Amino acid sequence: MKLKVNGVEYEIDPDWHDENLLDVLRDYLGLTGTRFSCGIGNCGACMVQIDGLSINSCLASLSMAAGKEILTIEGMAADDGTLHPLQQAWIDEAVPQCGYCQSGQLMRALSLLKENADPDDADIDQAMNGNLCRCGSYPRIRRSIKKAAIVLREAR
Amino acid sequence: MVQLTRRNFLIATGWIAGGVTVLYKLGSRAKAVAPTIIFPDKEMASTWIQIRPDGGCLMYCPRMDMGQNANTGLAQIVAEELNISTNDIEAVQPSTSDVPPLAVTAGSMSLTAFSRPMAIAAASLRENMRERAASRLKLSIREVLDDQAGFRATDGRLVRYADLVNEAPVFVEIDEHSSLPDLYAFDTQRQKKQVGQPVKPLGTRDIVTGAPLYAADVPMEGVLFGRAVRPPVRNAEIAAVDTRGVTDVPGFLKLVQEDNFVGVVCKTPGSVNAAMSKIKVSWHLKQTINQDEIDRLVNVDDELERGDLEHTLHDEAHRPNADWAVDLRFDVQVQSHAAQEPRAAIARFNEEGNEEGTKHLLEIWTGTQDPWAMKRFAALHTGLDEEDIVIYPQRMGGGFGGREHYEVEQDAVRLTSAIGRPVKVQWTRKDEFMAARNRPASAHRLRLAADETGRLTDWWHAYVTGHVVLARERLPRWLLPVARLREDMGVVRGTNPAYETTHLRVEYKDVDLPVDLGVWRSLNAAPSLFAIESAMDELALQLGEDPVEYKISQMRGELTRLKVCLERVRDMAKRYPVPEGEGYGRGFACGIYEGRCFVAVSADVYVDRDKERITVKHMCCAQDVGMAVNPDQLSAQMESNMAWSVGMALLERLEVGDDDIQSSNFDNYPIVRMADMPSVETEVIDQPAVPPAGAGEVALIAGPAAIANAIRNATGYRPLSLPISFADIAYGQD
Repeated sequence: MKLKVNGVEYEIDPDWHDENLLDVLRDYLGLTGTRFSCGIGNCGACMVQIDGLSINSCLASLSMAAGKEILTIEGMAADDGTLHPLQQAWIDEAVPQCGYCQSGQLMRALSLLKENADPDDADIDQAMNGNLCRCGSYPRIRRSIKKAAIVLREAR
Repeated sequence: MVQLTRRNFLIATGWIAGGVTVLYKLGSRAKAVAPTIIFPDKEMASTWIQIRPDGGCLMYCPRMDMGQNANTGLAQIVAEELNISTNDIEAVQPSTSDVPPLAVTAGSMSLTAFSRPMAIAAASLRENMRERAASRLKLSIREVLDDQAGFRATDGRLVRYADLVNEAPVFVEIDEHSSLPDLYAFDTQRQKKQVGQPVKPLGTRDIVTGAPLYAADVPMEGVLFGRAVRPPVRNAEIAAVDTRGVTDVPGFLKLVQEDNFVGVVCKTPGSVNAAMSKIKVSWHLKQTINQDEIDRLVNVDDELERGDLEHTLHDEAHRPNADWAVDLRFDVQVQSHAAQEPRAAIARFNEEGNEEGTKHLLEIWTGTQDPWAMKRFAALHTGLDEEDIVIYPQRMGGGFGGREHYEVEQDAVRLTSAIGRPVKVQWTRKDEFMAARNRPASAHRLRLAADETGRLTDWWHAYVTGHVVLARERLPRWLLPVARLREDMGVVRGTNPAYETTHLRVEYKDVDLPVDLGVWRSLNAAPSLFAIESAMDELALQLGEDPVEYKISQMRGELTRLKVCLERVRDMAKRYPVPEGEGYGRGFACGIYEGRCFVAVSADVYVDRDKERITVKHMCCAQDVGMAVNPDQLSAQMESNMAWSVGMALLERLEVGDDDIQSSNFDNYPIVRMADMPSVETEVIDQPAVPPAGAGEVALIAGPAAIANAIRNATGYRPLSLPISFADIAYGQD
């Protein structure tokens, strides 16, 4: 079985074929930026994108993900290391506290901005409501998404 | 206390005998594993900071990072002293072999205790560099002036730190006889470049790019996966185990059954889940676990009737039969930390060779508030010498007071011992709830009386709560009865009234609860202040006074910093008119944390009778914790505390079932989500002349009461029990 993550194709050992996508990413491929937190798709910490849709990878089987384009936090910046405007906004607004949920937050925000180039607070609250942050960085996430949305709109 | 000779100390910190990993010898084996209590001094701090040959600064972070970003504040102070940019400091989290023991990261002590020793150490290093510069330039020290990462001579010549350091890094040894250099960070007249600036927290770029940071992220060659069955409470014993079918699980490698422990090692994380699902354990419990039992034990009115409140904190001209204007009972339920990261640890035995032969080292990677206690725990558990154990502390995905104990680490050590290969243990979310050392439930009876002019005259606060610092599993069993004769510093926190009163009694009883207890953000301060600030709000309303003005008028005269916070928040809130119409309300609360942190909060709520929902719309928070080293990070902590205030006021309650903890995940222990989160406005009140105090858990003491008071304002109903649900709100006759 093959898995394509951040543009790179990996052959997966048969011992790992019954694992969920999250565990394969973290413990087989060593892409540990995607994180385990609830295991039931309730918190969004393990969110990645599969063919552009944000998915809780703790609930995704390997067979479901095989053959598709998977994007993780490690693939969010440009190849030359330039950060995505969302990542930059996250730094500029000093969003993270403990930081554990933020990969998932960024993955969800990325798909939100693909669907809606100019989200307001209500749009953000609705889109991001599946991504928990125990530290309560929510006000800064709201600000950062709006800030990145402006950067992305201006770049167009 | 650990004794190290000067030389061993320096060897241990890696500053001399460069390149050789040297483990230091502890004086004696700790008999009981208590938290690591060591007050940092300037001698210690001087070994945490060095200038490298390239002129850069390396700093060992003396605090464990879990989101509070204390190391960033300390790095700013170091940078101020060294005339460098905070971002140019390479900050390294040391292992237990790199430095002598560091104090447990707890109690919002980081900046209070560490800022001055580190400032002295960095300033001493700067002055050492200045001497070097003077000697090189053949000038007197007075002719060598500060410049960015170096010095500028009065004749215009520039010299950088890089020019002054040869092949070996430079640190200074200072002792009690060393002269005290000028401290730039604490100079109130000085225009500062780092302190007081909104410097970005260390590690932010790593977080947003998904770099490995937490214990489970550590790459490990040949690692296997394991987990153990968690008991519902710590003192439970295994009564029976059924492991049928576990050996048939694909990927299964080993079942480990030993004294009160059942665990597995497998090839993959998924096979661990499958194997664990086959294991059935029944527990022998030493007490009944259910909510009724908690309610029975935490009943302040029963205890008052029996006269059984054993600790008296204040007793001044108490009048038990005063004409009480307010006589209310407030209850707070058990709450869990529910940090975003379920705990994980990796353990392995590693051979290390040197000229004296090889030896086995036990290495543990884990996120912990107290790595040195972890090492002592591991030594007691394994029988190894402490010098043969190394803890590599990793960033924590939230701590909030819950990560001081040797638990997931113990699982990993047992399993790696059994299989002989490195083992990673990743707790599930349910494990995390089962293992939480929760905030105890508490019940408070608040009685207040005023004279005919409205002046507060009588204050009687009686409460019952579970143990906090003296909780069952935190101390050796033989010590518990003795220790509990004294005050539990967690249980008494936040109970000193901020208001002037002639007749005063504050008393409490702390009890053992049938769920595990411990230190939870702000300890008892937030529950007590919920009761106190609700009662004062109610007294003002009874007297026909505005609650904010009434509190200001009754506040103890010396508490000007608290008064300023409350006035600021009153003025901030005024900018947002409360909407007309049913269900909208505003409330205020204020409080003092640890005697040195002052905070006031306003909350605007909307109680929607159609949707049967309480929403917090907006909160303002003004806070004074002394010198504002990083105002933006202080704001971040205030915002975080507002989120927890909403959770504590409206959502959080550990569900306790019959002999079990029912809360197992975020679906049955809800925490604040984006849509629950109000907009938040913060104001940091800077006191440049006051040493900085920690801010990680301050604002939580006022937030829940502000929300409760807002609900009272919106509906006329006085919330008496947290969390408040819509169903609690009595709407009178209609």
